[in-house]
Amino acid sequence: MTAVLHLRDVVKHYGDTRALDRINLSLPSDAYISLLGPSGSGKTTLLRVIAGFERLEAGEISFQGSRIDTLPPHARGIGFVFQNFALFPHLSVEDNIAFGLKNSAINPVTDPGVVKRRVRDIIALVGLTGLEDRGVSQISGGQKQRVALARTLVTEPKMVLLDEPLGALDANLRMRMRSELRSIRERCGVTFLHVTGSETEALAMGDTVLVLDRNRIAQHGDADTIYNRPCSPAVARFLNCYNLLPGRISGEAFETAAGSLPLGGLRQSSENPVYAIRYDRVSIRPQDAAPGVDEAGVEATFIASEYTGAAINSFFTLADGSVFEVEQHLSHAAPSSYEPQTAYRLAWNREDALVYS
Amino acid sequence: MTMPHLAEDTAPVAVALPRARAGNLWLVAPGVLWMVLFLVLPIAMMVYVSFWTQTTFKIEPTLTLQSWITFFSSDTYLGALWTTIRIWLIVLATTLLVGYPAALFVGLFVKNKTLQTVLLVLCVIPFWTSFLIRVLAWRPMLGKEGAINLILMKLGIVSQPIEVLLFSELSVIIGMTQIYCVFMVGPIAFMLGRIDPSIIEAAQDLGAGFWRIFRTIILPLSMPGVVVGAIFVSVMVLGEFATSAALSGRKVNLLGNIIVTQVGSLKWAFAAVAGVILTILMGAVVAVLLRVVDLRKEL
Repeated sequence: MTAVLHLRDVVKHYGDTRALDRINLSLPSDAYISLLGPSGSGKTTLLRVIAGFERLEAGEISFQGSRIDTLPPHARGIGFVFQNFALFPHLSVEDNIAFGLKNSAINPVTDPGVVKRRVRDIIALVGLTGLEDRGVSQISGGQKQRVALARTLVTEPKMVLLDEPLGALDANLRMRMRSELRSIRERCGVTFLHVTGSETEALAMGDTVLVLDRNRIAQHGDADTIYNRPCSPAVARFLNCYNLLPGRISGEAFETAAGSLPLGGLRQSSENPVYAIRYDRVSIRPQDAAPGVDEAGVEATFIASEYTGAAINSFFTLADGSVFEVEQHLSHAAPSSYEPQTAYRLAWNREDALVYS
Repeated sequence: MTMPHLAEDTAPVAVALPRARAGNLWLVAPGVLWMVLFLVLPIAMMVYVSFWTQTTFKIEPTLTLQSWITFFSSDTYLGALWTTIRIWLIVLATTLLVGYPAALFVGLFVKNKTLQTVLLVLCVIPFWTSFLIRVLAWRPMLGKEGAINLILMKLGIVSQPIEVLLFSELSVIIGMTQIYCVFMVGPIAFMLGRIDPSIIEAAQDLGAGFWRIFRTIILPLSMPGVVVGAIFVSVMVLGEFATSAALSGRKVNLLGNIIVTQVGSLKWAFAAVAGVILTILMGAVVAVLLRVVDLRKEL
């Protein structure tokens, strides 16, 4: 895999707030890349800077070997799919898709036959056949999504940027469009950079996942690495599947407000020491159960549980009042019921923990 | 567990959509009564009176076509009809020419909503003075020894004052353009302000240059505003008489001026003929403009 897009020390401010803080990035060609970040982390800004809608203040962007940061959006060869689709409301599906071919300032396609053929091909590719003459207000959300994608793909960009493309769809459709987007990308062979605030979406879709935190790239890797070995407490927090216990290292143990935990598992460096344990690695025991070999554990009070279908999420409070979440997959065992306001012992293998110090 | 919830959720929705029942029609009764008494009946009356017999000092309800024949066989009156149409078309064009760029600036290029409102209010400020003062203020501006001629002569651009500036068709057009321009700016700026900025960015990203985007996206999306503005300006300009009376030195006679003079000399039947023709003209203009854009779909 060769890298197509390079960002070096890219900086962007809005007034006094720093939206992008020296971003360095290399993206491979012909891949699906997802960019995960909480709201306000600068992910939309990053996309808009790459697309050319925002000027960067420092640093440089090169694409396929040449600098593009001074070029206008349309000269960059990068397509953009907007979060709200931004379809032209007065044009039909077909005219929306043909817009870029007919109206491009650089090499517009003037032969109506060629326009017709290329539009027809792309309509077939995204699965919109039969809707050519509909107005864009007469089609469903998922179909609008496809029109927005087709409108960009028909101009044959080398890379497509998608700004929360599934955000405007309902949950059911979102799941189906995930695999749809991946297969459309594979058929076209272009790079997709997909921005999302949903950790499940980022992990499910990206061949490579980028995590953006406080306007910098916090981690860059495949989904498995990101999920199992988040490189900082912040990344672990976005993944929404880790209990994070702040504290400090003292000898062979990690001291937290809820008690002392034996060290183990992966140790990574971080400014603020944090002990992290995944929701689904924890087992719930009676309060007086003896700790097993190589186990760490805390005492906690059960509050409530939430049934999610395949799993049950139980919520506990620790001695310092913080919430501790435990996920039990129902395929492993029938759910047991717990008494609210009763103390239990939560235990896990010390090797499953991640320690940041 | 979810089923009873669903039933509860849908039940009030069905109740919340009452059909228009006969009892509810009373809600429109005051409005209908008002319009019948003060709009429909007077228009019917006007049409009726236009067929009455008019002698020099009195008018009798004996039906005749005489007033209509006089109107259509007189060069003065047909000339007034033609002048009305010509001035209307010119003012429509000038208000669009002056108003559209202004609306484009306010509605599209000013991103700050507060500044947008301030600029639109600035357009309306001239309306804080009375109509007559606004019209008459053009006289010291355009006159032979008015501000414009004075400045042009001081700068040595002209040696003789330009006389055509005041008491001519040009002065009427200048005055009307200034007065009615804001009615064009408002609706267009409103429509332009509603265009999602990402639509324009999408067009840029797809490679279109500014003029292409203007022609294929911005102009079509602002057409409802243009049509509404054109209806405002047309209805007001077609019924105008004060501006032409004050700025043309009675050289430009519009249908409105004919009505004013005829009513002044108690020629009610003849004034009614002019009134009916003006009403038909306005109705036709509005009908044609509404054909251009389906406002119900766009607004």
